Amino acid sequence: MSRYNPFYFIGQAFKSLWRNNVMTIASILILASCLVVLGSFALLVADLNLNLDNLGLMNEIAIYLDPDLEEARVDEIYHQLREMDNVDSITYVSKTQGLEEMKQDYAEYSDLFVIAEGEENPLPDMFYITYEDVSRVTTLEYQLGEIEGISKIIFRLDLAMQIDTFKSGVSLIFIWFLVLLFVVSIFVIINTIKIAVHSRRNEINVMRYIGATRTFIITPFVLEGVIIGLAAGGIAYLAEWYIYTYIEQIVTEKIRMIEVYPFSELSMPVLLGFLLIGIVTGAIGSSISLHRNLNA
Amino acid sequence: MIELQNVKKIYPNKTVALGGVTLRIEDGEFVFVVGHSGAGKTTLMRLLLREEKPTSGKLLVNEFDLTKLPNHKVAHYRRQLGVVFQDFRLFPNKTVYENVAFAMHVVGTPAGKIRKRVPAILNTVGLGDKLKCYPGELSGGEQQRVALARALANNPKIIIADEPTGNIDPEMSLEIMNLLLKINRLGKTVIVVTHEKSLVDYYQQRVVTIEHGRVTEDKVGGMFE
Repeated sequence: MSRYNPFYFIGQAFKSLWRNNVMTIASILILASCLVVLGSFALLVADLNLNLDNLGLMNEIAIYLDPDLEEARVDEIYHQLREMDNVDSITYVSKTQGLEEMKQDYAEYSDLFVIAEGEENPLPDMFYITYEDVSRVTTLEYQLGEIEGISKIIFRLDLAMQIDTFKSGVSLIFIWFLVLLFVVSIFVIINTIKIAVHSRRNEINVMRYIGATRTFIITPFVLEGVIIGLAAGGIAYLAEWYIYTYIEQIVTEKIRMIEVYPFSELSMPVLLGFLLIGIVTGAIGSSISLHRNLNA
Repeated sequence: MIELQNVKKIYPNKTVALGGVTLRIEDGEFVFVVGHSGAGKTTLMRLLLREEKPTSGKLLVNEFDLTKLPNHKVAHYRRQLGVVFQDFRLFPNKTVYENVAFAMHVVGTPAGKIRKRVPAILNTVGLGDKLKCYPGELSGGEQQRVALARALANNPKIIIADEPTGNIDPEMSLEIMNLLLKINRLGKTVIVVTHEKSLVDYYQQRVVTIEHGRVTEDKVGGMFE
């Protein structure tokens, strides 16, 4: 027996989509809307993470040294810090550097700092360290407490924990969103294919009597689902492009403290993600529908 | 060859549609299956088309044992059959040519072979000049001839016609029956399920009468009693 012509299946799928054009358009728009919502949320999460990471402080510890510490002891402390396995980076800031940084940060009041220069500088020498693993910070805190010559340790542990919890929460909401929108999309596709099957019920019966295989009968319907998914993915990408670029422009111009990824950096993952989700949703939705309606 | 050995069909609601039918139809025979409404003719058809499985007994069609035939082989089995329905079941949006070609396309026949065979079959049923017509442009008799051409398209060994003259006028009915006889003479086994007494009596072929789910009479050259 010869193989079936794939163009026949594609042609049949397009004909059927055209025949049920209202339902087809409705399905594409609903699925595209779901993808846009999902995509917007994913991009929001990406930008949120970018800004949280930018905060930088969340995994930084400020270590204030005793004011009268010898230079040799400072060196020793530096080496002790380097030996600790959860320490990622160490930055030394002398009291002179600290004062200079303050002057730069508060340039409008730089005159006020003149009286604090030289011997009058009240700032201590400092180390800023960053750690690798937030879950082992308590151990690090204990180890730092054991070092002599440190007068004060300022952790941002609470902030780090909060940000970590926040990120986990956002990820959880994202997953729920994903599942919910996936279910909605599948439901829409199931109904579209159900209508398509119903409108071709006589044709399907004749095909069965003639000796059509199940594959021959169902392939055009599965392709219909896939085409709907692809079209929805394409439309959703264009919509997302427009919406994101618009928001990106506003944020870049008006809210400078917030950083967002440029769309050009995200466009390929967004496009591939939309098309993939569209195809998978379409194929699964139509398969479920066929399983339910063709055996009836 | 079609062979039924004490075939019973009892539906889940306990209705006994066939109560033990034993019947043998040899290759190349022409058989009328007659009986009143509810006698079991339709169930017999459904069993032969493997839409249903017998509750018990044995049903053989050529090399296929339909009592054991797995679902994935049903399509392959049905290619042995050509089926004609009372309501024609043509695709209204396809031309006569496309309707017949579709049957060949479904079983994966190469396009070149389809192009050659379809006009030849349509000539056999007398519709060689109607290739481009749509079913809606044809009379009932012509539509049934298209259905017959479609049934013949894949060169099946057996033709099953379910009330093939039920929707057409008496004159056209004779044409269709003559066509079925012509197909029979080409070596095909033809089974015509009908309740049209005049036709059965006119053609004097083998007549299998079913009543209350049982074969009550099986006679060559018989009449519809």
